[in-house]
Amino acid sequence: MSGGVDSSVAAALLVEEGHDVIGVTMKTFCYTGTGDHGKTCCGLDGIADARRVAVGLGIPHYVFDVEADFTRDVIDDFVAEYARGRTPNPCVRCNSFTKFQDLLRRGRALGCDAIASGHYVRMDRSGPEPALLRGLDRRKDQSYFLWGLPRDMLPLLHFPLGSLTKAEVRERARALSLATAEKPESQEICFVPTGDYRDLLRTRLGSTHPALEPGPVVDRTGSILGEHPGYAGFTVGQRKGFGGGFSEPMFVLEIQPDTRTVVVGTREELFSDALEVREVSWLTDPPPEGTTVRVQLRYRAADVPAVVTGCGETLDLRLQEEVAAVTPGQSAVVFADERVLGGGRIMDARRNAPRSVLQS
Amino acid sequence: MSSLYFDHAATTPLRDEVRAAMEPCLHGNFGNPSSIHRWGREAAAALDGARARVAEALGATPGEIFFVRGGTESDNLAVLGRTRRLVVDGHPPRVVVSSVEHKAVLAAADAALHGSDGVPATLRVGVDGSVDHDALADVLARGPCVVSVMWVNNETGMILPVPEIAARVSGSGSTFHTDAVQAVGKIPVRVDQVPVDLLTVTGHKIYGPRGTGVLFVRTGVEVAPLVHGGGQERGLRPGTEDVAGAVGMAEALQLAVLEQEAERTRLAALRDGLESRLGTLVPGLRVNAGDAPRAPHISSLGIPDVDGGILLGALDLEGVGASGGSACDSGAAKASHVLTALYGQADPLAALRLSLGRATTEADVDRAAQVVARVVERIRSGGVDR
Repeated sequence: MSGGVDSSVAAALLVEEGHDVIGVTMKTFCYTGTGDHGKTCCGLDGIADARRVAVGLGIPHYVFDVEADFTRDVIDDFVAEYARGRTPNPCVRCNSFTKFQDLLRRGRALGCDAIASGHYVRMDRSGPEPALLRGLDRRKDQSYFLWGLPRDMLPLLHFPLGSLTKAEVRERARALSLATAEKPESQEICFVPTGDYRDLLRTRLGSTHPALEPGPVVDRTGSILGEHPGYAGFTVGQRKGFGGGFSEPMFVLEIQPDTRTVVVGTREELFSDALEVREVSWLTDPPPEGTTVRVQLRYRAADVPAVVTGCGETLDLRLQEEVAAVTPGQSAVVFADERVLGGGRIMDARRNAPRSVLQS
Repeated sequence: MSSLYFDHAATTPLRDEVRAAMEPCLHGNFGNPSSIHRWGREAAAALDGARARVAEALGATPGEIFFVRGGTESDNLAVLGRTRRLVVDGHPPRVVVSSVEHKAVLAAADAALHGSDGVPATLRVGVDGSVDHDALADVLARGPCVVSVMWVNNETGMILPVPEIAARVSGSGSTFHTDAVQAVGKIPVRVDQVPVDLLTVTGHKIYGPRGTGVLFVRTGVEVAPLVHGGGQERGLRPGTEDVAGAVGMAEALQLAVLEQEAERTRLAALRDGLESRLGTLVPGLRVNAGDAPRAPHISSLGIPDVDGGILLGALDLEGVGASGGSACDSGAAKASHVLTALYGQADPLAALRLSLGRATTEADVDRAAQVVARVVERIRSGGVDR
């Protein structure tokens, strides 16, 4: 329970259904000294909100200090990925490790036999094995974040909000007079209280780390177009930050950490049709080569059709339609219709088809 | 589910006698003690009566008793207020605290030295309750300072050698304060027998009302106020007095002192029974500060191979209210600075504090021991690592 409306309603629905529910807030990050106790979901205000809701529902509530685990699995990885010139997705890491695995380990000690959360995803238990499906409210669907769950955890997971819309959830919250009914959505990265992740990188890496030092901005031919203040401030597809003077808008195509180089190009040069995915994890049996699947390459992006061209430790995908700004570090999540099959981290994106084909 | 409250060192419920004593001050006798009319006069009389009773219970004179709004405020007034007074008199700010003080004293000591070059000196306390007297002598030799050493440690129940320290500080030109919040009602606390300069007591640990406290200030010791306003409490703690709170505090203190000897014997027997049962039932159990002289109501346990936060949650689910290390403001269990001071940073044992009170019975102790043993066993078999 983050103290937000989603997990509050999820808890209320479970209580209504007659489950024996224990509320838990995971303290992932220490806000002491940041001067910001309320802005994000797991700050002190979030804990107080969650506790108030739990007391209102008549359920116990505990705060688990998972700061050490969260720092290791999420924050350290976040920093290391930016240092490698990639764009990490910490929410995926948190869902893969902290939110479910660490919680279950602790929950088991309290005698719990299942984990529930306020994610907008569904569990279909009609088949021989539980299937993780997209949330019915596609604008809120959070399945993109959950591909890294261990497959054997699926039978233990419950997502009471998966078939509801956000509007319905808010309505439920009001009907239950939940303290958090009107709480705004949290969007920012919870462990970046300043809102600028580069502040965190400076603290963790030191301001003289190569990722935070100036380097060249070049085009695909290698011509130097200018200088940037540190490649960790850039992400593939980003348009801002190069000043003017170009005949058409310029986008970040690639980050080369070894030489601190940021490669830029036109929008047309951003498109890829093949990608390599590593740290692959499956919630089903892996799809054999040649299978046509759908793949989502960014949170809130539409999925696109793709063919599995290699599936082992590395997953290779050929996209059936070209996609702009495929970003190393983000997740590639593989679906069969609504069902999450698995996913991994994007390592590399390529353009195999000749330029003319893509342009056509 | 049984309901076993084992957190009396955190707070205690209001006693019926205390509630009854406070009742008139909440209704009929509601006046402001500073008012010149009948209502004011009656309130002032109630306040004076409370002051006299507190003084009697501690072996002080009424003029040495100042009502404040709790133990933390009393500690701050003593450590910070006394240091400020020394600075006004032209001395550099110097504070010495024990390594196991309550946060109220530690933070007040830091605040007292804020802006100066110094940091509070620390007197190391051993697991046997001993204090480094040579270090104390060194500090005292260097000029006037404020020494603050608690009488009974709130996390372990350890009794510190306050009479010896008070005797050493007395006449040295320095000031000695003791936080006796966990000591009153549990062991003898008499300022006419122990030469402390400043002493802190709070109401809610002894079945009195929350938000009430006392600072004893020995005649001749001057303390600078931290709050400024009217002349209440002779200017040391301005603000319209909480007469009902003072009356409740006085009643609670008097009862606690009256019952101290019998209650000490009874609670010590219960605590010893609890620890011996747990020693049998929980492999690897350590009684923290077990070889030190201890107040009778606190049992601090070190338990290997469990997560402290999980343990407290699991006990709560079984109806047992207990504490771990000191709770941080978020409610998550944090490593205790007291146990760190005693056992080192790398101590792998989870902290469990079970504290007993007036209502605790032998049957409660039996059940609590069984629940703790069962829960520890379950956590260990669940493979939760620390």
